[in-house]
Amino acid sequence: MTTTVLMIEDDLAIVNFMTAILQGNAYKVLHAAKGTEGVSMCALWSPDVVILDLGLPDQDGIDVLKNIRSWSEVPIIVVSARSDESEKVLALDEGADDYITKPFGTSELLARIRTALRHVKKKEGSAGKLSNGAFEIDFDKRFVQIEGKQVHLTPTEYKIIQLLALNIGKVLTHDYIAKEVWGPYSLENQSLRVNMSNIRRKIEVNPAEPVYILTEIGVGYRMVEC
Amino acid sequence: MGEELNRPDPDQLLLQVEQMEETGAGKLKVFFGYAAGVGKTYGMLKAAKKQVALGKQVILGYIEPHVRPDTLALMEGFERIPTKKLHYKNMQLEEFDLDAALALAPDLILVDELAHTNVIGSRNKKRYQDIEELLRAGIDVYTTVNVQHLESLNDIIEEISQIRVQETVPDSFLSHAEMKLIDIEPEELLSRLKEGKIYRPERARKAMNHFFTKENLKLLREIAIRKAADHISMDNRIEDVYKEKRVHVRLLTCIHHLDQQGAEKCIRWTARLANAFHGEWVVLIVEKSDEETSEEEQQKRKANQVLAERLGAEVVTLIGDQPVEVITQYAKLTSVTDIIVGKYRHRFGHFKWLKQDIEDELMKRLNHVELHIIPLAEQEPRLKKEKASFKQLIPKKILLVDLFKTVGLLIAATLLSEVVTYLGIGDQNVIIVYLLFVVMISRVTTGYFYGVLASGISVILFNWFFVEPLNSLTVYKPGYPITLLIMLIGALFTSNIMIRLKNQARDSIEKEHQMSVLYDLNKSLLSTRNLTKIVQLTNEYLVQAIERSVIFYTEKPHAQQQLNILTYQNKQDYQALASGDEQGVANWVFNNHKIAGFGTDTLMGAKGHYFPVISQGKVLAVIGILIDKKQPLTYEQQNFLKMLTSQLSLALERQRLAAEQQQIMVENEKEKMRGNLLRAISHDLRTPLTGILGASSVLLEEEQQLPAELKKSLLTDMKEDAEWLIRMVENLLSVTRIDEGTMKVKKTPEAVEEVVGAAVGKIRKRFKGQSLTVKVPEELLMIPMDGTLIEQVLINLIENAIKHARSKEPVMITVKKKPDFAIFEVSDDGIGIAKERVPVLFQQLGEAREDIPVDSSRGMGIGLSICKTIVTAHGGTIEAVNKAQGGAVFRFSLPIKEGATS
Repeated sequence: MTTTVLMIEDDLAIVNFMTAILQGNAYKVLHAAKGTEGVSMCALWSPDVVILDLGLPDQDGIDVLKNIRSWSEVPIIVVSARSDESEKVLALDEGADDYITKPFGTSELLARIRTALRHVKKKEGSAGKLSNGAFEIDFDKRFVQIEGKQVHLTPTEYKIIQLLALNIGKVLTHDYIAKEVWGPYSLENQSLRVNMSNIRRKIEVNPAEPVYILTEIGVGYRMVEC
Repeated sequence: MGEELNRPDPDQLLLQVEQMEETGAGKLKVFFGYAAGVGKTYGMLKAAKKQVALGKQVILGYIEPHVRPDTLALMEGFERIPTKKLHYKNMQLEEFDLDAALALAPDLILVDELAHTNVIGSRNKKRYQDIEELLRAGIDVYTTVNVQHLESLNDIIEEISQIRVQETVPDSFLSHAEMKLIDIEPEELLSRLKEGKIYRPERARKAMNHFFTKENLKLLREIAIRKAADHISMDNRIEDVYKEKRVHVRLLTCIHHLDQQGAEKCIRWTARLANAFHGEWVVLIVEKSDEETSEEEQQKRKANQVLAERLGAEVVTLIGDQPVEVITQYAKLTSVTDIIVGKYRHRFGHFKWLKQDIEDELMKRLNHVELHIIPLAEQEPRLKKEKASFKQLIPKKILLVDLFKTVGLLIAATLLSEVVTYLGIGDQNVIIVYLLFVVMISRVTTGYFYGVLASGISVILFNWFFVEPLNSLTVYKPGYPITLLIMLIGALFTSNIMIRLKNQARDSIEKEHQMSVLYDLNKSLLSTRNLTKIVQLTNEYLVQAIERSVIFYTEKPHAQQQLNILTYQNKQDYQALASGDEQGVANWVFNNHKIAGFGTDTLMGAKGHYFPVISQGKVLAVIGILIDKKQPLTYEQQNFLKMLTSQLSLALERQRLAAEQQQIMVENEKEKMRGNLLRAISHDLRTPLTGILGASSVLLEEEQQLPAELKKSLLTDMKEDAEWLIRMVENLLSVTRIDEGTMKVKKTPEAVEEVVGAAVGKIRKRFKGQSLTVKVPEELLMIPMDGTLIEQVLINLIENAIKHARSKEPVMITVKKKPDFAIFEVSDDGIGIAKERVPVLFQQLGEAREDIPVDSSRGMGIGLSICKTIVTAHGGTIEAVNKAQGGAVFRFSLPIKEGATS
């Protein structure tokens, strides 16, 4: 069964080259040039992944995102032309699975689509254990290993790692992590940085060149697949 | 030709009209009558109906509760603002609700009874102040007033009706208003009164006996009509345009400092005259240097000064013992045209034959000035002249020191006289010796008392020791009583003169001191170049001069404001001045350009006294002074504040202009920079775009002929050029994150390792296989910064090291922590930086760079300039040095704490 990608994008040049790449990689491509059209196509065709441009001619991309997210769990990758972090954060908080900033390379786009799709499968499959390169986490026994050696973590640190590991490949915003770890009314951005710095010193070789947990400046953290 | 000269300049007229429109103030129409019941309210409502018909939104702000049915009928169909109910001394009173009116902001509002005094507890003391606020808010107002409520006519009306009207409106308030006279025959008014149309029957009868007599009404009507005619004729003149060409009228009212009752009449009379001539006028008060006035007198004096100022006069107080001299000098200096003095019909002067009347003396001294004499009451009120001079004689407390001095000097005088007698030089010299010592005593003691005492005693001593028979007070020789008398008079005169001289010297020193202090402030104000310093200086100076806490607003109060408060001794004052209520008063002053707060007519409940510093119709600042209820501001202090305000307004205005000029210069500079930047960018962009265009054209047009290898190389070039463009755009975009006005960035605490990690991650993706070494401090280092921007700086520097330095060895990225700064280093082992490039390496964006072509080495051009811009915006520094062992180090620092700069 081929995977269907719905592209909601108004710029034809971009649509052209993305269609070429995606079809070249055996994806089925649907295209909508307007937000309203995109929403109805999404409902009609139930694509496997949606690529949504935030700058649409008829309505705000964020509204399209909210609309789709209100009735569908389909992975949505947001494409943003502005390198404005607050917009990315907003999109992620509104339920986008990932974002990609224009201009982007083809390989990057394909990697993001793969990650989004895999993430869906993971959700469906049981958690249990996750190993990512030398990194391994056991969700049932609640421990983390690097190269087979157990890493001693505080409960908070474990919670953060667990959250990132469960959402592997996905960017989690600072606010989202803080709320999941410390509760809905916390403003623990600062503590998150401190905890993250400790985690990095425990699981990374060089904290300034992290391998597992990457920083998206101004947005959040992402655990990458090695 | 003369015609031509007098013709107002049309451009100027137009400008005037524009200015008037620019202010956006509402228009005032006054329905003016000579007594209650002439139909002012009725007329006003009729006129309002017409405005409604014209489509205006009209609201009844306040209409006196009337019983007249025809008036009531007219009020129907209008929207009314409900009255505000206020409690005062167990009474419930209804007042016009100003705030509701301001909130509704209709086109036109009707507010009855202009002269009304508001209940204590309202914002303004008088209703005309409420109306002023409405006008300022751009709302047109219709109102009503009777002739007896005009301030300048107050005393005339009192004479006619024997009733003193307390509620008055300053004439100046009406000067820009449209006046509509409502007039009916007095007979008709009386018949209306009889029919009970104006007052209820029992009140009507009382009114008819007192006020509403036919004679009174006729007189009042005449005054009202005349006033209205004056108003119209004043309206017809085009003031400012002709001003210089008209003969200038300048009136001077002289007031005896002790006779405040007569003063009031003189002031009102002059006000009317000044109004008629449309001239300036001055009220001159001559004070004696050593006068002590009672509390009550001072209060009366202050009331008169306030009255004069309200009627439009300038009040000048001069000190001098010779009133005529002072008046003459002042009149000559200020080229006064008319002098007004009051005169009692029957003076009971004791020394009338000795002294000339003041008007005669003035007439003698001033040839070109016209004199007006205002007859005052039949009898001169007993000025406490003798009592006052007697009081002066006895000092408030007898100082022992002075007493000792007196006694000692008298003994010395006696001893010296003994010597003189012993030497047989002669009696007349003994008298001279005593006189000399009396002068000395007057010189070294304070007040008249000791001089006079010494005069008396010295005569007695002379008599006792040196006049035959010795050691007794009797006198044998026939001439001696005369000698003694002359000696006494001589001694008294000399001591008196001495003391006067001393007092004058003291006064001039005091005045000199005040002037020099003001001059000092002025000098320091002139030499300051920034607002904070001006504020600081003024605050310090004010606190010192008037010994109270002050607050200085340079802008309307708002939440994030840094309050400029300087407290005097008591630290709790700070809270008192900083409270929200007080800020509300300051805000009112900003909006209304008038004084408010404690001791004024507006928002009297406030703790502070607030006054605006105005220049060219703009409030540049508001100063508040915390006032203790027990110690209100004295008149001198208020005068002093006025002087200070005028100096301050000059300084602030100058500061504002300087700041504006600075702003314009910065703008120009920015504009220039922007131009240069655009030129540089378009140059830099054109090159890769040409590459892409060329390569793609070749590929499209000659696809068939091209060998596969060349095709691939063309495509690779295109990709590279596009990537270069992307990085270029990213760099440029990052600059937009820096605030253009302040050149500052929005900082949030970021972990250094995260930022470095993100930058290195991106570089690794782009330059696969490039070896990098990264080192950050062991402990977590959080620095306030814009993470994206610093990431950009790092990317630019690393990329520079890889691409341009052609570093073979690993590029080192190091972060070190210093006490106040974090040092970021990117070091390479490449070719280093050419010497001639070092000074221009980080040249600011947009700075002219004619010497080196922008694209001399693509990418170096803008990237490093952007690094410098970003680092500088963070309050850090950036530098580049060549290493001794080859290669270069790019180093930048960021302050660890917010607000620090390197």
